[in-house]
Amino acid sequence: MESEKKLFLKALKEKFEEDPKEKYTKFYTFGGWKQSKRKREFVEHAKEIMEKRGGIPGYNPDIGVPLGQRKLMPYKLSGTDDIVEGDDLHFMNNAAIQQMWDDIRRTVIVGMDTGHAVLEKRLGVEVTPETINEYMETINHALPGGAVVQEHMVEVDPALAWDSYAKIFTGDDELADEIDKVFLIDINKLFPEEQAEQLKAAIGKKTYQVSRVPTLVGRVCDGGTIARWSAMQIGMSFITAYKLCAGEAAIADFSYAAKHADVISIGTALPARRSRGANEPGGIPFGILCDVVQTTRVSEDPIEQSLEVVATGAMLYDQIWLGAYMSGGVGFTQYATAAYTDDILDDFSYYGYDYVEKKYGINSTKPTMDVVEDIATEVTLYALEQYDEFPTLLEDHFGGSQRAAVAAAASGISVCMATGNSNAGVNGWYLSQILHKEYHSRLGFYGYDLQDQCGASNSLSIRNDEASPLELRGPNYPNYAMNVGHQGEYAGIAQAAHSARRDAFAMNPLIKIAFADPSLVFDFAHPRKECARGALREFEPAGERDPIIPAH
Amino acid sequence: MAYEPQYYPGKTKIAQNRRNHMNPNVELEKLREIPDDDIVKIMGQRQPGEDYKTVHPPLEEMDLPEDYVRDLVEPISGAKEGHRIRYIQFADSMYNAPAQPYDRARTYMWRFRGVDTGTLSGRQVIEMRESNLEEIAKNFCIDTAFYDPAVCGIRGATVHGHSLRLDENGLMFDALQRYVYDEKTGHVLYVKDQVGKPLDEPVDVGEPLSPEKLVEITTIYRKDNIPMREDTELIKVVKRIHRARTLGGYMPTEDTFKDL
Repeated sequence: MESEKKLFLKALKEKFEEDPKEKYTKFYTFGGWKQSKRKREFVEHAKEIMEKRGGIPGYNPDIGVPLGQRKLMPYKLSGTDDIVEGDDLHFMNNAAIQQMWDDIRRTVIVGMDTGHAVLEKRLGVEVTPETINEYMETINHALPGGAVVQEHMVEVDPALAWDSYAKIFTGDDELADEIDKVFLIDINKLFPEEQAEQLKAAIGKKTYQVSRVPTLVGRVCDGGTIARWSAMQIGMSFITAYKLCAGEAAIADFSYAAKHADVISIGTALPARRSRGANEPGGIPFGILCDVVQTTRVSEDPIEQSLEVVATGAMLYDQIWLGAYMSGGVGFTQYATAAYTDDILDDFSYYGYDYVEKKYGINSTKPTMDVVEDIATEVTLYALEQYDEFPTLLEDHFGGSQRAAVAAAASGISVCMATGNSNAGVNGWYLSQILHKEYHSRLGFYGYDLQDQCGASNSLSIRNDEASPLELRGPNYPNYAMNVGHQGEYAGIAQAAHSARRDAFAMNPLIKIAFADPSLVFDFAHPRKECARGALREFEPAGERDPIIPAH
Repeated sequence: MAYEPQYYPGKTKIAQNRRNHMNPNVELEKLREIPDDDIVKIMGQRQPGEDYKTVHPPLEEMDLPEDYVRDLVEPISGAKEGHRIRYIQFADSMYNAPAQPYDRARTYMWRFRGVDTGTLSGRQVIEMRESNLEEIAKNFCIDTAFYDPAVCGIRGATVHGHSLRLDENGLMFDALQRYVYDEKTGHVLYVKDQVGKPLDEPVDVGEPLSPEKLVEITTIYRKDNIPMREDTELIKVVKRIHRARTLGGYMPTEDTFKDL
């Protein structure tokens, strides 16, 4: 790629306002933290808070390390024109990142066929499109917190739960035609034709309900609550819609189906040492995250599809899961955002795409060691040479972990573009890491000494207790459980394989369909743009408590 | 057959510089003579002249259970005396600093005993018995061509600078400005110790090496010096390691390695 065509140049020019190829600059002259509008605002807020709480001190950027001895860089959200301050990418400061996780956590999918079979075969009750529509109307009253069976019940203010609803989808086009459109996630309308056919073939004639539990429930309780909240309202709605006896034995079948047998959670429960239940980020496999992200529906660009998954994974796995749940830290944002800002990973990945397209074709070669070695070596060397050529690029990715993550992600994505094989892709990631280590005689933080030095040994194995297809691995996979700067990228590599193959989904068609729902608060087709809206304070989240607190 | 250490693969100058660092038989060029007390001041853990703090009695005075490992391994002098363990940590600029983090780790392990070392992208720590540490800090880490005053930093915390552009005097960025360039002498002066505590008086660590000299002695590949692409032998060895790990997996057999 010629120098002037590098995708990251625009961001570098905005960030540094200096020649990106110049090796020398001035430091210590930027006015410290005061150079940042956001930090000045933080100081003002802190003053007000201190006064309000009787002098207890709080935020004070003059404590600790002297911030701003160099330029406090802004960041351009990759794939957008939006430039934001780094602080606004912390999940605490970004309502869109929060809602992204809220929307995943508060979703549960429940198969309807068991319930319908119980009604028809055990109770002799007819199930028709009309009864399904009636049931859907009932569940849309109950799921946000409305009462349907008992007569003296407290209920939830709908203004607090405006984001809560239930929808339905099916691979049966005839049934879909008769479902009220407000309840239907319409596969034929939401997906390109070829993808719709793949999805319908995968799910058959089955019917599924998608429950969106109120955001507030997930925040007050946890991900493990979601299926229970959904199941309770499903049981009550079946009783109401089909005029059943609240105590009859068949109700136990509905409960069992809605709580266990027919439930598809987004994340599996975690072992006790992780202290989390189901539907928490640590239990979400990479393949599932690929299916949550919806760029495959709206873009034909396989690199863009992969990068949107990387970005979502960086926000969810690095910033929220490892950065907060697991570590309690505040600094992981700096690592994580490297994968979705300043068009750097984009540049490296498109370079790899062009390389493999010319040499192998997209999804056109077998995943041999020779192919993996060739592509991962070329893309890694290209990426690292950019840091040599553009000192401001090196200064942008000032930590080795940032560089290691994006160089290896681009390598893995590029291998997937050629082979359509995610395990070959992750093998390319590992080669990139050890090449990088020798190039710079440094890599990332200690974590890169762990999984990235031994990962090759399990990247082509799918035997129990040794490894897994990459799609089935997740944040709790052995060796992956503690290292920032990896998990989002792994998810992106998994997506890259399926994008190269033009698959409609990576792992679970039900998840792909459930998140195609246009009523979701967060737009999963454009996660980076949504993150930018959050940073610019343009994103309106759910779960606010304004209706029940004093005006402010 | 006696094993002949090869230290590092590669046919370029960078690979040779790495081998020179690691090979204990190679004496690195001595470039400066920083007084012992000045090194102690920068390290900031002991007052010059102060006795070494001990964490156990001399080994000779201790009643230790029998263990044949003790017969096999000769303790280093600081361990014999019971001196405590302290550290020195370096940050090395990617703009041709002589040593680089993994190069440091491998060099320490080849050349010294009683070393505990940790490597990250922006810093590299070595921990040893304090008396032994001071000795190698001066005689190897700072006085020789393993060090440059401008592009190597002695930094315990807030280490960052390795990947940033250099300042107008060619010094690596340091948010705590532990060292400054003295325009009168052209020397680098440490005004704070390695954790950023101000020193009573500056410590002169000498003149920065010229960019030409750094390019000759550095151990980092760079496109504007020796690119890694040119070192086909190194790339071949890295690929071989990767292939062996991948194909060997959890059940390496001889067949796996036959055609590598």
